[in-house]
Amino acid sequence: MSETPAHSIAARLARRILLYATACALLIGGVQTLHLWQEVKQRFARSIEAVGLTHVPLLSVAVWDIEPDAIRRQLNQLASQHAIGHVRLVTDVGRVFEAGDPDALDYAEARRFDVPNPTRQGERIGTLEIVADTRAFYRELATTVGVGLLGYGVLTLLMCGMILVALRRELGPLRHIAEFVKTLSPERLTTPLTVDRGPRHQRDEIDLVVEGFQILQRGIDGHIRDLDHQVAARTRDLEGALASIRALSTTDTLTGCFNRRLFDERIADEVERADRYARPLAIVFADADHFKRINDTWGHNAGDEVLRAFSASLKAQVRDHIDWVVRYGGEEFVVVLPETTLDQARALAERIRVAVESEPLTINDKPIHLTASFGVAQYSPGEALADWIDRADKWLYLAKEQGRNRVCG
Amino acid sequence: MRPTLRLMIVSLLAAVLSPAWAMSVTFINPGRASETFWNTSAHAAEAAARALGVDFELIYLERQHLAALDVVRELAARSAERRPDYVMLVNEAGVAPEALRILDEAGLRTLLVYNGIQGAQERALVGTPRDTHRHWLGSIEPRAEEAGYLTAKALIDKGREAGAFGPDGKLHLLAIAGDRSTPSSIRRSEGMHKAVDEAGEAVLDQEVFGAFSREKATEQSAWLFQRFPHARLVWAASDQMAFGAMASWEARGGRPGRDAWFSGINTSGEATKALREGRLTALSGGHFILGAWAVVMLYDHHHGIDFADSEGLELSASVFPLFSVRDADTFERRYGSGHFGTIDFRRFSKALNPELKRYDFSFRQLLDGAEAR
Repeated sequence: MSETPAHSIAARLARRILLYATACALLIGGVQTLHLWQEVKQRFARSIEAVGLTHVPLLSVAVWDIEPDAIRRQLNQLASQHAIGHVRLVTDVGRVFEAGDPDALDYAEARRFDVPNPTRQGERIGTLEIVADTRAFYRELATTVGVGLLGYGVLTLLMCGMILVALRRELGPLRHIAEFVKTLSPERLTTPLTVDRGPRHQRDEIDLVVEGFQILQRGIDGHIRDLDHQVAARTRDLEGALASIRALSTTDTLTGCFNRRLFDERIADEVERADRYARPLAIVFADADHFKRINDTWGHNAGDEVLRAFSASLKAQVRDHIDWVVRYGGEEFVVVLPETTLDQARALAERIRVAVESEPLTINDKPIHLTASFGVAQYSPGEALADWIDRADKWLYLAKEQGRNRVCG
Repeated sequence: MRPTLRLMIVSLLAAVLSPAWAMSVTFINPGRASETFWNTSAHAAEAAARALGVDFELIYLERQHLAALDVVRELAARSAERRPDYVMLVNEAGVAPEALRILDEAGLRTLLVYNGIQGAQERALVGTPRDTHRHWLGSIEPRAEEAGYLTAKALIDKGREAGAFGPDGKLHLLAIAGDRSTPSSIRRSEGMHKAVDEAGEAVLDQEVFGAFSREKATEQSAWLFQRFPHARLVWAASDQMAFGAMASWEARGGRPGRDAWFSGINTSGEATKALREGRLTALSGGHFILGAWAVVMLYDHHHGIDFADSEGLELSASVFPLFSVRDADTFERRYGSGHFGTIDFRRFSKALNPELKRYDFSFRQLLDGAEAR
C-alpha cells in the first residue's frame, strides 16, 4: 500500500480547473489586451480628432476676437475631457495657452490642428495641439481588461465551487466504499456493501462499482464455500489413500497378515514392553508342511490358496488386538503373543495344529490334507532378540525333523 | 436670497421738516458707489433734487442687477407715507418687465433712465408706457451712437492730420467695443462704424469686445497691435479700455498721442487729464447727467407738466459732447470734485421756467455756459 495521503478527487479537479482557467484567462487576457490596446488607441485618436475638430471653430472665433478668458475656458474644457491629457494653443501673435497635464507630452505625440481666421479663408491664426491622456488610456485599458478578467475569474471560482460541492456529494459514497474495503478482513469478507445514496432515477459509475463489488463478494463467497467442500473431499481421499498405503506397507497382500517389515518394527516394542513391565512374551513359528510339494503339484495358485487358508487358521485362533500374525517368509508365519507364557503359547500352537489338520481344504475341486509344524519360544528377559527368534526357529526345525505336524518348544 | 445691498438714503430735507407738498424720488442705481460713472450719476441727480427741493432716495444695487426686483418689492410693500412719488429704474439684465409689473401694481410711477426697453421680447412684455402699465411714465436714454460717432470721427480726423496712413494709404483703425449685448455699447459701436464708413480712407481692421475692462483691453490691444502692425488709431468704447490699449502700446515702446492715437468715452478725472496731456485724442462723455435731467422731468411732471406732451414717452437724449482740451479743463474745474451744487437745475425746469418749451439734454450747456456761481 502506498503511504501517500488520500486527497479528494473533487478538490483536485477544482484545482485543475482553476489552474487551466487561470492559464486560459492569461491567454485570453493577453489577446484581449492586445486587441483592446489597438481599439482603445484608435478610439482615443478618433476622440481627439473629433474633439479637436469641434473645438477648432469656437477657438478660431475666440482667438480672432481676442477673448483670452474664452480661450482658457475652452482649453480647460478640452483638457478636462476623458481622452485628453494636455492642450496647447499657439496664436498668430505668439501667445501660448496651455491646459491639462504638461507631463502628457512626455508620453504621447501631439495632434496638431490649424486654427483658421474666421473672417478670412485660408489664413491661419493659431495652432492647437492636443496630446492624449496616456494615463487615462492605460486606465481605460486596465479597467476594460480588468473587468473582463474579474468576471471570468468570478465565473471560474463559482464553477469550481459548484463542481467541488457537487463532486463532494457525488463522490461521498466512494470514500464510504474505500473505508469499507479498507476494513475488510477474511471474516468480514462476505459482509454486504451497502451505500445509501437516496432515491435515484439513474445508475452511475458508483452504482456500477457497488454492484460490481457485490458481484465480486458473492463470487468469492461461493468460491470459498466450494473450496471447503473440495478440501474436505480431498482430505477424505487422502486419508483413505494414506490408510491404504500404510496397510500396504505393513501387510502381506496375499494373506492379509503383517509382513516381515512390520514384524521387525514392532517386535522391538513388544520386547521392550515385556522387559519394562516384566511380562511374558512368546512367539510361535508356524510352517505349512510340504508346501513346496503342493506348489509343485498343484501350481502357484493352489500354493497361494493354501497360504491364505493357513493364515486364516492362524488368525482364527489368536486374540484380536493383542496377538498378531506375521508372514515371515514363504510358507513360514510368526505369531507374536504378548502376555503369554511358553505353556500357553504351546497350547495355542497345538490348537492351531489341530485346526489346520482337521479342516479340509479343497483346491481345484480336489481335497488337500494340510498339516503344519510349530516352534514355540518364550522370551527370556535380557535375551537378545535374534537369539530368541533363533530359538523359536530351531524348535520349528526340530518339529520338522521329528516328522512334521507337531509342536516343539 | 436677498443680496447685500448698500442702502444709501439721502434726504435732502429731513422728513419731519419737509413740506406736505414736497415730492420724493427713489433712484435705483445699478452700480457701485465706488464706480466713477454711477457715482457721478448719483451725485448729479442728487444735486438736481436738492436744487428742486425733491426728497431723494438713492439705492445702489452693487451690480447685483436682479436685486432690483427685491428693491421694488420692498418699495411696493412700504406704507403710503413712506413710498416715493417716483421711481427711477435702470433696465439692466432685463429686469424692467418684472420690475415695472410690480411697481405698477403698487401704483408707483416709474421712469426708466439710461436704459429703456430693449428688444422685441421685452417690448412684447411691457408694451408702451402708460398703456398696460399705467404708472410707467416712459424712459430716457442717452443717444449712445453719438458718443461713438464723435470720438471715431475725431480720431480719424486726427489720424489724417498726423498722416497715420498704412502702406496701402489707408487709415487703419482698431476698435475695442464694450460687449455684444448691451444696447448702449452696441450703439456706441454703431456710431463708430458710421464714422469709419463716412471717412473714405479709414478702414476698421478689427473690432473686439473688451467688456469695459482695462485689463482685457490691454491684452486684446497687444494682440491687435501684433496682428495689425499698420494700425495707428484705436477707438475704445470706454475710457478705461482706452487706457488699457494705451498701456499695451506703451509697452511696445510707443507713445500715445505721438505715434498712435486713442479715443475713449466717459469723463473720468483720468480721462480728462489724459486728454489735456494729449495722450488721449478724443473723449466724449457727460451722459451721467441724464439722471439729473430725469429728476427735472419728474419734478415738472409732479407739477403738472408732462414730458409726454412735448417730447414723447420714450426719449433718446442727445447728451454727448466731444470734449476739447478746454472742455476738459472746464469739466475738471467745475465738476472734478464730483459735486454738482454749482449747477442751477431750476433753470432747466419747465414748471419753473414757463418760457421753456423743450428740454435741452446736452452736456455741452454745462461746459459752455457761464458758471452759475
